[in-house]
Amino acid sequence: MMMAAKAHHIAQAASSISIHDVSHSYGGRGGGQVMLALDRINLDVGDCEFHCLLGPSGCGKSTLLYLIGGFIPVQAGVIATAKGPVSGPGPDRSIVFQNFALFPWKTVKDNVLYGLKKAGFDAGEREKRAQDYIDLVHLTGFENAYPSQLSGGMQQRAAIARTLAVDPGILLMDEPFGALDAQTRRVMQEELRAIWRRSRKTVVFVTHDVHEAVFLADRISIMSARPGRIEHVIDVDLPKDRGEEILEDPRFIQFSERIWRLVREQAVAATRGAH
Amino acid sequence: MSDMAQARPLADAVKPGAPRQPWTISAKLVDTAVQVAVILALAAAWEFGARYGAINPFLLPPLSVVLERLWSDLISGVVPVDLGLTLYRALTGFLIGAALGITIGILMARSALVRWFFDPLISIGFPMPKIAFLPIFILWFDIYDTSKIIMVAFSCFYPIVSATYAGTSGLDKWPIWSARSFGARERDLLWEVYLPMAMPQILTGLQVALPVGMITTIVTEMLMGGRGIGGTMITAGRFADSVGVFAGILEIIILGFVVVKGLEMIRRRLLVWHPESQR
Repeated sequence: MMMAAKAHHIAQAASSISIHDVSHSYGGRGGGQVMLALDRINLDVGDCEFHCLLGPSGCGKSTLLYLIGGFIPVQAGVIATAKGPVSGPGPDRSIVFQNFALFPWKTVKDNVLYGLKKAGFDAGEREKRAQDYIDLVHLTGFENAYPSQLSGGMQQRAAIARTLAVDPGILLMDEPFGALDAQTRRVMQEELRAIWRRSRKTVVFVTHDVHEAVFLADRISIMSARPGRIEHVIDVDLPKDRGEEILEDPRFIQFSERIWRLVREQAVAATRGAH
Repeated sequence: MSDMAQARPLADAVKPGAPRQPWTISAKLVDTAVQVAVILALAAAWEFGARYGAINPFLLPPLSVVLERLWSDLISGVVPVDLGLTLYRALTGFLIGAALGITIGILMARSALVRWFFDPLISIGFPMPKIAFLPIFILWFDIYDTSKIIMVAFSCFYPIVSATYAGTSGLDKWPIWSARSFGARERDLLWEVYLPMAMPQILTGLQVALPVGMITTIVTEMLMGGRGIGGTMITAGRFADSVGVFAGILEIIILGFVVVKGLEMIRRRLLVWHPESQR
């Protein structure tokens, strides 16, 4: 309880997240082997910060995101936002999943309206906001299409519109562009960065792609594999306004190299550990 | 759900009313034409085979004679009453079976207690010929509508409960997590997520159960007598009225076709969002 109170105290800013001594393990039920997925994670994500969790597959970065989202219960430690310790999913922390997780039986517009309805917007406001956010992600004209009629990139944009429309303070993204082809992915990264610059949200973005992390983030947490620990937290020392041109900027390239070396260490360690 | 990750050609989405490629239409037209032609050829073989003595007209009366009988029975009100009764029993039983099957199927998926209770009952009951219960149902519920409807509901229940249980257990967790992150409560999830997600499988269960229900209706009518298509056919058979029997067969064919097609239409309507409807 004392820890909870402390964590609450730390997370004062409107949409900051404070993660204190969080560990998580899987298995163990029915005599199965216990696998430690996260080992004593400590991290503070500031208000309006774009934070990337970067690490090799199996480092528990998605688990950490689901814990922040409240989808799986916290076993040890405390995760707190301005609203207090996280105890379940809530509209203050919206999430975009890797596989979009749209409702396939609803049209694009109805998908966006669903969240707005749950958030308690009145009918007129719902319509207006839904259209605004569909326009924002360039899906104008596809309001009445079903997800199965859209390409992967369009589905992911619909999922992002649905999540942004409810105006969550905290936006959680679980490798949202992982399933997209390289070109779409690049465009989506630029759009996301631009949307974030305009809307000023706290973003926690999970990825294993170094360039994606460096392009998007203010700060990057580099995680080790099994058990997942945060090995480095690094400020991205690049201009806030990042367009396509930054990809060729020597600072971007140098910085990416540096991050890559750090991630590589973890990936190599993980491979050795597995043998 | 894996369909979702695949990009579909955008043309489908952008212009739903756009003209399709011409060969798809003509292929479908040819299909339908062939099917109709086969039925017409069989009808013609029946008619002329019986008329020109290839087949004994008592064993197989010509189609035209059967149609005449059907027409006169239609005018006299026999057919409408029989059809109405049979349809009423079949659909009432089907709907009761569906209501119970869908409810229990969902509860089984949600609660271990319900699953423990019903799982063995369904494992035993599913492969069993349900009609075996008819004598006891007659004793319990006498020989009128009640026992027939209960028999139909009983036989429809099994395919529906199994399909619903399969459909609502092991649901893809992502849409559920999405709904919860937007603030959906557990009791909203049933109507807002579980049911729509399981709808394709529930409908498949219903589509399996409906012909089962029709068969059960006709069989119970035949075994218990009285009005209804099955009862009228048995009476005709007892009086060696082969024309009457064949009139009954035609009624059943038409009724079955209409009812099954009706459910198919409902499926297409409910699953417009599903990739299966966009082919």
